Amino acid sequence: MTDLLRLLFNSLETGSVYALAALGIVLIFRTSRTTNFAQGMIGTFNAYIAAFLMLRYGFSIWLVALAALITAFATGIIIDTFIIRPAAKVSPISKQIITLGIIMVIIGILPWFFGVDAMTLPRFIPSSYSVTILGADLRYNTIFVIVLSTLLMAAMFWFIQYTKWGLATRVTASDETTSKLMGVPTKTVTMVSWATAAMLGTLAALFVAPRISVFANMLLTVQISAFFAGTLGGFSTFFGPVVGAFIISFGRNFTQFYISDIWGNVLVYTSILVFLYFKPYGIFGKKPTKKV
Amino acid sequence: MKRLKTIENFFATLSQSITKYPIVPFIIFGLLIASIGFLPHTGLMRWGTMGVFAYIVIFSVVAMGLNLLLGFSGLISLGTAGFVGAGALGLGVFINLGLPFEIAAVLVLVIAGGMGALIGLFSLKVEGIYLAIATLFVGEILRQIYTQVEIFGGQAIRIGAIRFFGFIELSMINQLQRSFLFLMITIMMVLMMIVMHNIVKSKTGRALMAMSRSQHAAQAMGISLLKYRLTAFILATLFATFGGIMYGLYYQNVPTTAWTLDLSLFVIAMVVVGGLKSIFGTFLGVFIIHGIPNLWLKNYFGDISYIFSGILIILVIIFYPYGFVYIWYDLKRLYYKYRQHLSKKKVTSDE
Repeated sequence: MTDLLRLLFNSLETGSVYALAALGIVLIFRTSRTTNFAQGMIGTFNAYIAAFLMLRYGFSIWLVALAALITAFATGIIIDTFIIRPAAKVSPISKQIITLGIIMVIIGILPWFFGVDAMTLPRFIPSSYSVTILGADLRYNTIFVIVLSTLLMAAMFWFIQYTKWGLATRVTASDETTSKLMGVPTKTVTMVSWATAAMLGTLAALFVAPRISVFANMLLTVQISAFFAGTLGGFSTFFGPVVGAFIISFGRNFTQFYISDIWGNVLVYTSILVFLYFKPYGIFGKKPTKKV
Repeated sequence: MKRLKTIENFFATLSQSITKYPIVPFIIFGLLIASIGFLPHTGLMRWGTMGVFAYIVIFSVVAMGLNLLLGFSGLISLGTAGFVGAGALGLGVFINLGLPFEIAAVLVLVIAGGMGALIGLFSLKVEGIYLAIATLFVGEILRQIYTQVEIFGGQAIRIGAIRFFGFIELSMINQLQRSFLFLMITIMMVLMMIVMHNIVKSKTGRALMAMSRSQHAAQAMGISLLKYRLTAFILATLFATFGGIMYGLYYQNVPTTAWTLDLSLFVIAMVVVGGLKSIFGTFLGVFIIHGIPNLWLKNYFGDISYIFSGILIILVIIFYPYGFVYIWYDLKRLYYKYRQHLSKKKVTSDE
């Protein structure tokens, strides 16, 4: 029972992180028609800023997190304005490679700005604060991560579903040209999507940072899992990837614990592949209708 | 003016002879590249430069396979690195088991081709980003296996000197033998270029091209999607695996951790930056992505060189969305403009 609970808490926490990253990827995929491979890297860059501020000036984690979210917003806007918008006419595959270019630029910037030493970020709530349930430790920080992510995602869904700007996002996602004709400011929508996605990525980075440390590839696993979550849940809805994220996180943790450390991942991935063969557009995905 | 005419005539005869003997440019190109393998002996070139070129030669083959998929068939794969790794590591495992090089290579190709066929079958159901990420699943599964299964030897697998046909032994450590290894991989690359040229110009190539434009139209013309999707994926994995075998052959020490998503993305970048649907463009792309940073930028800027490569990729894609090789057409147009300009001048002077 203790193991089970521990696994449950752990999966919920990693699942929330994956879900945040996946939501960012889907947001950009829907509004800019590109797979953003740089999602993880943008988050990492801003986590570096947070860690650097903390190391240099000794600010508290809450303050540096706020600063990182603000810089994340700015990063998203800069990337959209200077890189993605001029490349609006290139094919989707070439756009993906542009995001690879962004990754390389950030990899080059990191040692230049912040030095080569790995940095650390503490938890939002120190790990000494914890509660024990049936023998399993549950950190308050874990609860904080889960609750904050859930609230944030709920707020985003509410925003997308019930506000005017959310409607603008949805119509931009479904047909950019038509919505432009209807007077929707698609440029602003795309820009804000990039900014939001960057902030989501940064949050994921800040949540992951205490477990590992702050280094260039810290979000690699998170990002790949986020892609998988998007595929499993389906890219055509905003909530599908979130469900996918939790399924992947649970599947991975439980198979790794109960079956085998080596083959857990392989098993989960293979079963998702088999699932995709029968349901090619994910759990909630619909087949896109194409006019000839 | 007269000189321009002679140059033009020269190019006209050249292009005529190329259409007659399409293999010639590949062979000339191969000879040029092969000479790089022997320049370090004369002291004109550093050994490191040759190493960079070996990498370029190897990844040209890999990128050509992806070009078949991406450029000619409009399908994308994020699992390329996994298959390059399969080639290199598989070769290592089989050679360490005591098999001769040739049999090991064939075995690896057969296994990888089988996996390619499976992905091809899968691609009939799934498309777009879902297919891309499905191939990423395959790549990740392969990466997990390489890094965690003991047979691949933890950090790296050592192959050591490779014996050809049972009697010629070539080792990476000996400088002269290394030059011959470089020659071998160059010959392999030229062969693959010729193979690729023949595939592209054949019925298969035309079918793939038709499929990339419109699946439905292609089907209406009697092109079997099943057959040609399978062909495209099998060919791409075979090229990637062949590149991996070349990697094992040249470097003779294969890391297990190098076959990540990043590498797959780099291979896509090579194709997109160099030139979709162009064989020499692919080589150019590999040169831009791997050669320029490692030959020059790293010397001057160190780690910061990544910034320049990144900016280079972004700029090339924004200005040449079909690949840098198409700059050739811009140059041609400029030349004709210049010639028109000249002839106009002549007319005015006659008056």
